[in-house]
Amino acid sequence: MADEGTEDLAAENEALGLALAAGHAAVWGYGVVGAALTAADQGTAASAEAAHRDVRDSVVTLLSQRSVEPAAAEGAYALPFPVLSPTDAAALAVVLEDGAAAAWVRVLDQAAERTTRELAVEALTGAEVRAVGWRTTAGQNPVTRALPGLPPQ
Amino acid sequence: MSALPSPGTRGFSRRTLLAASTAALALVAAGCTSSPPDERERVTGKQADELLGQVAVQETLVAAFTAAGAADPALAGQVAELAAQAGEQLERLRDAAPGATPSSTSPGTPPSQAEARSWLRAQVAAAATSHATACVNQSGARAALLGSISAGLRGQDGRLA
Repeated sequence: MADEGTEDLAAENEALGLALAAGHAAVWGYGVVGAALTAADQGTAASAEAAHRDVRDSVVTLLSQRSVEPAAAEGAYALPFPVLSPTDAAALAVVLEDGAAAAWVRVLDQAAERTTRELAVEALTGAEVRAVGWRTTAGQNPVTRALPGLPPQ
Repeated sequence: MSALPSPGTRGFSRRTLLAASTAALALVAAGCTSSPPDERERVTGKQADELLGQVAVQETLVAAFTAAGAADPALAGQVAELAAQAGEQLERLRDAAPGATPSSTSPGTPPSQAEARSWLRAQVAAAATSHATACVNQSGARAALLGSISAGLRGQDGRLA
């Protein structure tokens, strides 16, 4: 059982590493989002960035406690599309949140520890709630998702 | 504030992330996980019972959308997309819980037309909380599904505010 437990935790750690990468991308990306938003929406972007920082820090702490080296952020990231307007910025925020949601669903799938699932479901929920707001701002429809983070069947 | 990346900067991790996520989540969707699959996908009797319970929770929520729409026909049109998503969630839960059979669980009656929306919102929030609680007691694809449904319902909760 000890070997199985170690193997379980390895899969969980690998999934957490993906979630951490998504967190790094989100923190960086929200800098771009905030720069292109109207002043009225910049507070929302700042709150979202702070939320990703908090989750990222939790993952870094968790992995460090397990003697797993947490991946560092990239120096820069290529944008998936030009961000030239508030609508573009909201659409980029949707991409960031959807990426985070997918990564946290993966963590739920791979987690061996109950506490990790608690972290994951909280992070996944936060990502989807924020994504709903950004989809609205971006004019996307529908703004809600039945199964955020899961691919269509 | 970060500057836009100049041409030639390192590749956006989103590509890497999404590629990895797509591959990983295809496994989730298929109910297959990486090693050791047996541990995470093994279902205890308690987990199976709890999953059936979550099917019942979702059936009650689907019925709540119908009841709220009957109490307030205008609301029915406004929440048609949300109702359809609740139905999709129910189908995925039934698929994940072999042996689940449709039931006729009643959510009760909305207190009035004026309060139908807030009543429905409370039903959505309660279902989201229930699925999130159940999620942490499950593992593998079942945990992923319950967590995703819970998050989706929290998003709906915000729309109904």
